[in-house]
Parts: sequence; C-alpha cells; structure tokens
Amino acid sequence: MPVVEFLQFTLSGIVFGMIYAAIALSLVLIWRGTRVLNYAQGGMAMFTTYIAIEVIYHTGSYWAGFVVALAAGVVLGAVCQLTVIRPTMNKPPLNAVIVTIGLLILLEGLAGIFFGGQYRSFPAAFSITGLKVGTTPLGVSRFDVFVVAAVLVTTLALAAAFKYTSVGLRMRAAAFNATIARLSGIRVARMFTVGWALAGLLGALAGVLVSPSTFLYPNSMDAIFVFGFTAAVIGGLDSPAGAVVGGLLLGIALSYVAGYGGSKGSDLTSLVALGILVVVLMIRPDGLFSATKVRRV
Amino acid sequence: MSSAAAQQDGSPALAVDGLDAGYGGVIALDGVSISARPAAITAVLGANGAGKTTLLRAISGMIKPRRGRVLLGGADLTGRSPEQIVRAGIAHVPEGQGVIPELTVEENLRVGMMSWPGALSRASAHRNSRAERAAALDEAYERFQPLADRRRKLAATLSGGERQMLVIARALLARPRVLLLDEPSLGLAPRIMAQVMDLVVRLSREHGLTIVLVEQNARSALAIADHGVVLNLGRVVASSDAQTLAADVALRHHYLGF
Repeated sequence: MPVVEFLQFTLSGIVFGMIYAAIALSLVLIWRGTRVLNYAQGGMAMFTTYIAIEVIYHTGSYWAGFVVALAAGVVLGAVCQLTVIRPTMNKPPLNAVIVTIGLLILLEGLAGIFFGGQYRSFPAAFSITGLKVGTTPLGVSRFDVFVVAAVLVTTLALAAAFKYTSVGLRMRAAAFNATIARLSGIRVARMFTVGWALAGLLGALAGVLVSPSTFLYPNSMDAIFVFGFTAAVIGGLDSPAGAVVGGLLLGIALSYVAGYGGSKGSDLTSLVALGILVVVLMIRPDGLFSATKVRRV
Repeated sequence: MSSAAAQQDGSPALAVDGLDAGYGGVIALDGVSISARPAAITAVLGANGAGKTTLLRAISGMIKPRRGRVLLGGADLTGRSPEQIVRAGIAHVPEGQGVIPELTVEENLRVGMMSWPGALSRASAHRNSRAERAAALDEAYERFQPLADRRRKLAATLSGGERQMLVIARALLARPRVLLLDEPSLGLAPRIMAQVMDLVVRLSREHGLTIVLVEQNARSALAIADHGVVLNLGRVVASSDAQTLAADVALRHHYLGF
C-alpha cells in the first residue's frame, strides 16, 4: 500500500533526522560561539561510542555504557577545546579548521590502535523489531521511539538551560558579542569550553543512538557527520532551531531517496545529501533559518 | 563613599600613568597620562586615530598596555583582564553596537550584573542575590522608563536613542565607580544626543560617578565636561579644565575642529 509505505519512510526519516539534528546542534553550539566548524565532531562521537561499547562489554549494562559515553563526550569536548582549540583563537580561521581536521585523523587513528579496525555491532537499548498498528508495520521500532525521545528531551533541556539559566545567558552573550560579554565580567573563554563540552555531549548521544544501525568502526561516523553538517547548513549554522528542522528535513528526504530509489536507493543517500548541501550553499548560504539577518540590523 | 573620601584628599579616582599601547607595529598611545577626578566628567578629545578609543580599551583591559600603569583609587589594575577590571569598578561602554540585538532588553540588562559576586555560592547567598538582582533591575527600569515598556522585546527592535539608553543602563548595573563612555552620541539625532548628554551629566552630578567621556564632537563634550584632555597621534597635547580648553581658539582650530 503506497500510503503505508509513505508513512513508514516518513517515520524512519524522522528517526534518522533526529540523529542528524543532534550532530547539527553540536556543530551550531560551537560555530555560534567561536566561528569554528568542528570537523572532529563525528570522530569524537565515534570515540565516545567505543568507550560505551567497552563499558557495556565489561559491565554488561547498556545504561552504564550510555551514561559513560555522554560523560566522556562532555570531557572530550572540554579537553579538546582547552588543549588544541584555545591556542588557535585570535589566529586566522583556517588554523582552527586544520586543527579540527587533525583532531579527526588523530581520533580515528587512536580508535584503530585501541579498539581495532573491525566492524563491531553496537547494542540497542530497546527492541529493534518494528512496531505494528494492528497488522500494519510502522517501519519504526521501540528503540527508534527512544532515539526520537532522547534527542528531543536533550534538545529541549538545552534550550531551556540557554533560555532560563544564568550560565545559559552568559553563553549566549559570549556567543553573540564576546567583547560586550567580557566587558560585563563574563569569562568568555570558559563559556566557549562549556560550549564544546555540550557539543561533545550531543555528539556522544548521536553516536550511541546511530551505531546500532551503522555498526561501529573508526570511520563509522564520517557519513553521519556529513549529514549533520548538511542539516546544520540547511538550518543556518547560527540557528539551533534551524539545526533541528534541518536535521528532520534531511532525514525525511534521504529516507524517501532510500525508500523510493529502488535497488540503488540507499547508495544514493550520501550523494543526495552532498547535492542538497551544494544547492543550499549556492542559493541560501545563510541557511533557511539563519539569525545573521538580525545581526546586520 | 570611596569617591567622596578620595575627593577630599584631591587624589584622582582613575589615573593613567605613562601608558604605551599599540597594535602590532603601530603605536597608538605614546606615554599617555591622564587623571579623572572623582564624580567629575573628564572628556578625552581629538581627531580620528588620535588614540582615544585605544586609551579606553587599555584602561578596561581589552588590550594590554606595553608600558605604564592604570590605577583605580590607588589600586594597580595594569595588565588585568576585562573580567577582573569590571569587577574592580570600571565599566566600559564601547563605541557603537553596544547592545546585543539577539537578546531581549531584559537579558541585555541581566548581562550587566554578571560581574556581581556569588552567583554560584551557597544557596542562601544565592537567594539574597536573586532579590538584590531583581531590585537592581526594577531600579534600572524606573530610571529608564522606555526600557521597562520593552523589556521582553529583542534589543534589535530598539531605536538608536533607546539602544544607547540600554547600553548605559547595562553598564550602570555593574555598579561601577568609573564609567568609560566611547562616543555615546555617535549616530544619534541632535535631540536624542542632548538627552544622552543630560544623562551623563546627571550620572556624575547626582550619582557621583566618575566619567571618562570620549567624543568626536568636542563642542558638546566640553559643554558638559569638568576637565578635558586632548590627544593627537597618541600623545597628550593639552590637559586643562573644560572652559579653558573651549576658550583656546588655536587649540580648538588645530585639534578639535570647531
């Protein structure tokens, strides 16, 4: 039935879209504050997912691995910012770009050394058999529902923290106008570290959520990073809400490509994502929801 | 209190002593010394590129001076970070773009209180500071009524005059002893500009704030200032009370353009 098929593709698109949204948000958090595009975001997520799989293997508890991965993401984000990113601030923008690419290569190399290069399967928190309404399969599983809920809850919690807490206001002020923030007594450098830590958390979340369907290997997050980056560009790298919408749009679009593309459909998704990226950059380089218009007032 | 005490023994609230500063190979300040009397307005004048903005940036720690000292009521602040200097009691309102347009009016004001101590200290202290912050906000809204009506609006929606009002209100919320104002009249209509100048006068006369006012518009700055300093190519070329400077035709013609 075409209607059921359409529904299935849409729902599964939303699930993957939420994961892209998490990566996109992590990129936006860093870009907004420091104008750095963190090419290592996927690599960091891959690394924390390896940490999760080791913890799960040794403790037998999925949730121990889940929590440790998120904590590791926070620590990894903060440590990367403090050690290799901070020295590039007030330097030409290309320096930070090169450093994050170097960081990606380093993390992928270390993962190969520590954890091996072979494909490893990553467990899911809940059943991955498809849910049904009556006899009609929905194309999504209990775990997919968890994926959507986890990203949604994290995103809303972050949004509330940014809007309603003092640290959130400090971070926004530092991101929008570092000079004013410093002159007002805000420790801007520390806020940027917090931004990287939160980005690390989001990346780690995306890593453990996506890995059950992709396997885990040192390059496993490369494609997810490209999708997340595309989502962030669709939404405008400045806009957290745009990142979420961009992630969902891209997830659904790619799901249709994979679903309706016939036998070659799933091979086309990366190509289509890159095509969308190029088209958005050509037509609307500020993204669909960019805040830069406000800034130019 | 401290400024009143300082006034009695005639010592300056803010003193800059032999300051050298620059950007890369460019020397922007060359042995600049100024002193700002407590509760008075000190105007810093001069042409574009004379070093006025650099002087304020060096005082507030945005750039590190290469030589010389910055003293606030006798305490040496030289080389401290902007975050520390605003806590020590110097608020700097930089030129242009002083509001954060993406934040609401109220959020902009709350940013002004980020230098207050104890935001993360014990719960009871936190509660007290919450009430104190709310009271300080109310006070700001009382003084700047137009901001109260727009507290939930984005600062991007404010007019030029309202923005300047917001920026000054935010600086005052840091509870400074010394206020550094960089071209507060820039881009404002003459009537609005007069209002801003009135406000600056009231802040010093009624609230005892020590003000260092950088202005391109020397005529209106000297009209409200107690003291004036003229910079040219990074050096102090004149320093005197405002009337004397305004009466010096040669100086006006040479350096002040009126």
